[in-house]
Amino acid sequence: MNCAEARDLLLDRRRGALGPVDRARVDEHLASCDACRRVDEEDRELSRALEERLPKRRAPAALRSAIEAQLAGALPPRGPRRPGRARAAVAMVGVAALAAAGVLVVERLEAPNVMVAEAVNDHLRVLYSEHPLEVESGGVHQVKPWFEGRVDFAPVVAFGGDDDFPLQGGAIAYFLDRKAAAYIYKRRLHWITLLVYRADGLPWPPTPTVHFGHVSATERTLRGFHALIWRDGDLGYALVSDVDARDLESLGSKIASSPPE
Amino acid sequence: LTQVYDPTVLTTAPIDLDRSPAGVCYSKAVTRGGPLPKDALDHLDALYRVARQLTGNDADAEDLLQETYTRAVASAASFAPDTNLRAWLFRILRNAHIDAYRRARANPARGALADDDLSGIDVPAQEPLRGDAGLERIRGAVAANIEAALASLGLDGRTIILLDLEGFTESELADVLGCAIGTVKSRLSRARALLRDRLKDYRSEGGS
Repeated sequence: MNCAEARDLLLDRRRGALGPVDRARVDEHLASCDACRRVDEEDRELSRALEERLPKRRAPAALRSAIEAQLAGALPPRGPRRPGRARAAVAMVGVAALAAAGVLVVERLEAPNVMVAEAVNDHLRVLYSEHPLEVESGGVHQVKPWFEGRVDFAPVVAFGGDDDFPLQGGAIAYFLDRKAAAYIYKRRLHWITLLVYRADGLPWPPTPTVHFGHVSATERTLRGFHALIWRDGDLGYALVSDVDARDLESLGSKIASSPPE
Repeated sequence: LTQVYDPTVLTTAPIDLDRSPAGVCYSKAVTRGGPLPKDALDHLDALYRVARQLTGNDADAEDLLQETYTRAVASAASFAPDTNLRAWLFRILRNAHIDAYRRARANPARGALADDDLSGIDVPAQEPLRGDAGLERIRGAVAANIEAALASLGLDGRTIILLDLEGFTESELADVLGCAIGTVKSRLSRARALLRDRLKDYRSEGGS
């Protein structure tokens, strides 16, 4: 393997996406090539820079409203850009039209299950708190014992993260009327919150739609966030993020199918 | 006059001269077509993040998003339900951006934008000497440096890096960029090599 071939595979290697044969070939090359080892190190720093320091913007609320209204058929498409004040006026029209189209928009979102809404709110609370991680992760073996004495149940989470979904740490959250253990994973730029809580006495959504391993989960989308909610024995699980729905299912499947220790 | 409008195909619309030469403007697309899949809005934030990096400012990013959804609505009928909505939307975004860019430059021949900086880069046998200093520069890069370095890349370079960051698979990347799936790894790797190089050019804050 030459340097050019090896360099094309470095990112996949770090993400654990190489098959065993390619992995061995790249490892062998790296062992003997200082230049490629340096490139790998620099590229790892680049990933860090992009994932941690590139601003994580969200679409402005007025733009979201205008597009929602446009999709609901309430607004004709906007013309080319107007200068300052006219732009604000357009945004106002968008908001007004949205209010007029309120019923339509609300209908499209479906009546959110109270658990889904709470899961999304919890995710945002964790995300926007000053110190999202009350315990930083060195793996699930550090996070798990930290919850002892802090929640009144033993959270069962065996999946300690991998290259695709590194575990960042944990925090205490409140889920409706009870305490929850929050595990925070990451997927590239996105944070993913897993809430674990006692399952009894909650208004579970009626029809699970996604099946992984021995559990069946309900999948809902609310305000741009995907939520997967499932029940396993006495515990309830809610996985929330703005990652792609398939990515969330993939993590859900890893969490639900990791064998308990 | 009927015209089949496929937003995923680049238009070669005549240049509209009554646009501000400084700004990038997004023209109105023909608005017909059916409803978009319900989850089209799920991708709004990701589309906005990428649009913001492609355009470099909030106003153009917002216009680009409006144009993207307008085009998407106009051609919702051409979206096959079981195919990848996310890749489809980003392909529309990319093409809307290229169209607007060309109009703004009033130079349709600027087709090189689509496949600019990635072809001419050879991976050097030895990374240029800067050694640990280079690594430290990347490590010390702040948000403004990273955004500026990204902006200095061509459209394909920026797009592939940003979409990979959004968690796109190789086949989705190939789909959005309109390239063969077998070339995605090397395109991404070259774009990242270029970005690392540009980042090494920035001194840490406080330097000149």
